Amino acid sequence: MNVITRGFRNVFRNSIRAVSIVVILGLSIGLALTMLIAHQAVNQKISSVKSTIGNTITIAPAGFSSFSSVNNSLTVSELSKVSSLKHVSYVTETLTDRLTTIGSTQPSFGGFGGQSSNSSNVGQTSLTSPVTFNVSGNGGGHFFYSGGASGSTSAPTNFTPPITITGTNDPTNLDGNSLTLSSGKSISGTNTVDDALISSAMASKNSLKVGSTFTAYSATMTVAGIFTSNNQAENNTVIVSLPTEQSLSGQTGDVTSAVATVDSLDNLTSVTTAIKNTLGSSADVTSSEDQANATVQPLNSVKNISLFSLIGAVIAGAVIILLNMIMIVRERRREIGVLKAIGASNIRIMTQFMVEAITFTLLGAAIGLIIGVVGGNPVTRLLVNNSTSSSSSTSATPGGGGFGVSVNGGGGNGPVTITRSSNGGGGFFNRIGGRSTVNSFKNIHAVIGWNILLDGLAAAVIIALVGSAIASVLISRVRPAEVMRTE
Amino acid sequence: MLEVKHLTKTFVSGSGPVTAVDNVSLNIPDSCFASIIGRSGSGKSTLLALLGTLDKPTSGTIMVNGQDVTKLSDHALIRYRGKEIGFVFQSYNLVPNLTAVENVMLPMEFIHTSRKQRKERAAELLNQVGITDEKHDRKPSHLSGGEQQRVAIARALANQPDLILADEPTGNLDSETGKKIFDLLHSLAKSQHTTIVVVTHDLSIAGRTDVTFRLQDGKLDIRRGK
Repeated sequence: MNVITRGFRNVFRNSIRAVSIVVILGLSIGLALTMLIAHQAVNQKISSVKSTIGNTITIAPAGFSSFSSVNNSLTVSELSKVSSLKHVSYVTETLTDRLTTIGSTQPSFGGFGGQSSNSSNVGQTSLTSPVTFNVSGNGGGHFFYSGGASGSTSAPTNFTPPITITGTNDPTNLDGNSLTLSSGKSISGTNTVDDALISSAMASKNSLKVGSTFTAYSATMTVAGIFTSNNQAENNTVIVSLPTEQSLSGQTGDVTSAVATVDSLDNLTSVTTAIKNTLGSSADVTSSEDQANATVQPLNSVKNISLFSLIGAVIAGAVIILLNMIMIVRERRREIGVLKAIGASNIRIMTQFMVEAITFTLLGAAIGLIIGVVGGNPVTRLLVNNSTSSSSSTSATPGGGGFGVSVNGGGGNGPVTITRSSNGGGGFFNRIGGRSTVNSFKNIHAVIGWNILLDGLAAAVIIALVGSAIASVLISRVRPAEVMRTE
Repeated sequence: MLEVKHLTKTFVSGSGPVTAVDNVSLNIPDSCFASIIGRSGSGKSTLLALLGTLDKPTSGTIMVNGQDVTKLSDHALIRYRGKEIGFVFQSYNLVPNLTAVENVMLPMEFIHTSRKQRKERAAELLNQVGITDEKHDRKPSHLSGGEQQRVAIARALANQPDLILADEPTGNLDSETGKKIFDLLHSLAKSQHTTIVVVTHDLSIAGRTDVTFRLQDGKLDIRRGK
């Protein structure tokens, strides 16, 4: 029997109280561990998302998200100023429009990407979209029909969207990724030619191959290359050179979006500021860092919630053990006096009580560990899901004048930007990308590693030490003379 | 030899200073069985606490074998109490979740006696005070009052102290058991050559000690005996 054994055995002197304290402490430590797991999982996810930040800056016409009456495209001359800025490697410019299938019953769609929605120059094509959507309701995550008003028009059950035609000065790249051609060759992005790239799905749907022709805006286009994609939006896209699209759509010199690539991540912020200063209020400028920050915004909320809950749970645990130890010391004042009278030092007695506190805490930690391991993942997912859901529901505003798949932003169409965005106002591709990122949040998986367990254990020991600190002070103040009967 | 000179202990209470022990001087020779008697509130237990260095006097000296223990540091006092003094209390004050033998082993742990020696000596002492082997592993709650006090006496003897201070050791016992406990203390004083100071209000017990001191209002007014 030594001081450690005595401290350990003292825990069970009052078994009912011991069980109660251990259970309460276990819940507190379990909550702390769960929050620690959630915090670390979310932190890792945020780091993971941020690590994928590209060195790109998206430029869209100002007020783009409220596109119902927007007619404020960017111009090539404006973007040439951006190209000449220091640290800008190159600027990818795109002009996007939609084409309805000749003879189809598709409703009339408004302009795309900042174009006037009541334009009479709606293009038509001989192509049929390879994509069919099952549409229900409206709002974030669904397609919207135009009509100039907010998107409340009822939709057919099976909806074949109009075909997107994208003119770009960099046809080798789409959605931030290089296009993979399965046949044919790429096209020039700077010359007015009647060549186009189509997806293999589009080619299959329309029985086209390299060299085949189709019509767009009454012009005959030749399939120069066929690219592969497993992205529905890309499958529904025809890519032509920027001057070709400007010419065909009658929007000479207009650009619906652009992406500036910066020479280094270090210069991303300064170049973003420079572009904003250059374009002024005529454009919305969003860096990939802003997009990443916006994407992880719901996770930041979870991170903060989990951090505050973690701190709260640790404090609660410390208070529980503190009050318990104060109660125990008060109950055993006489015994402490006896121990002092028969030769025990303050340090020895404090050690005994500290062992008792640590034993309480470790037993609580064992229960907490089980709670943490069992509850860590579900609680993390619940927090993330609630956070992303509330974020979506508070920011999603149904809109009209086009179509789009929205995750965080309002419905409606936007410029087809090459980079991904989930912050609303983006185009078809990028919003799909954003949705997939947010969906990946919902599938967040907390890994309970040794480092978390050791952190939890360290927190438990800290709780015990903090909790027994005041008890130790009380012990040191017990006078051995108190053991004598009072006269 | 225990020599107390001009020992005074004053407490500060709400109604002003209270002198519990007032200028007490006394000598107790080695191996003497002494008793201190007096009415409740006369300062007996306070004097015992001062003799046992559980409390510090306001003034005066306590010389034990030529050393003034009132001048010892707190750390030295802990060692002094552990090695040189054994305490027996009216309400036994055994640690409730330790067995009889573990209670007796406790003071030996504080002076770093090996576990084996602790166990052997504890068993020997328990047998010496009349606790049979089968009761060695019982917790105090499973022992009678007299047995608990015997265990307390064995604990007081554990480190072979020069001085045992007993505060009303028979106060919670019936007269017959009290007499047995007194006889035990008396025989131990002789066999172990230990000085024993007993605080009691039982005059029949006090009458059988080698020397008796009576305290009244903190002052020593009668000394009877050798």
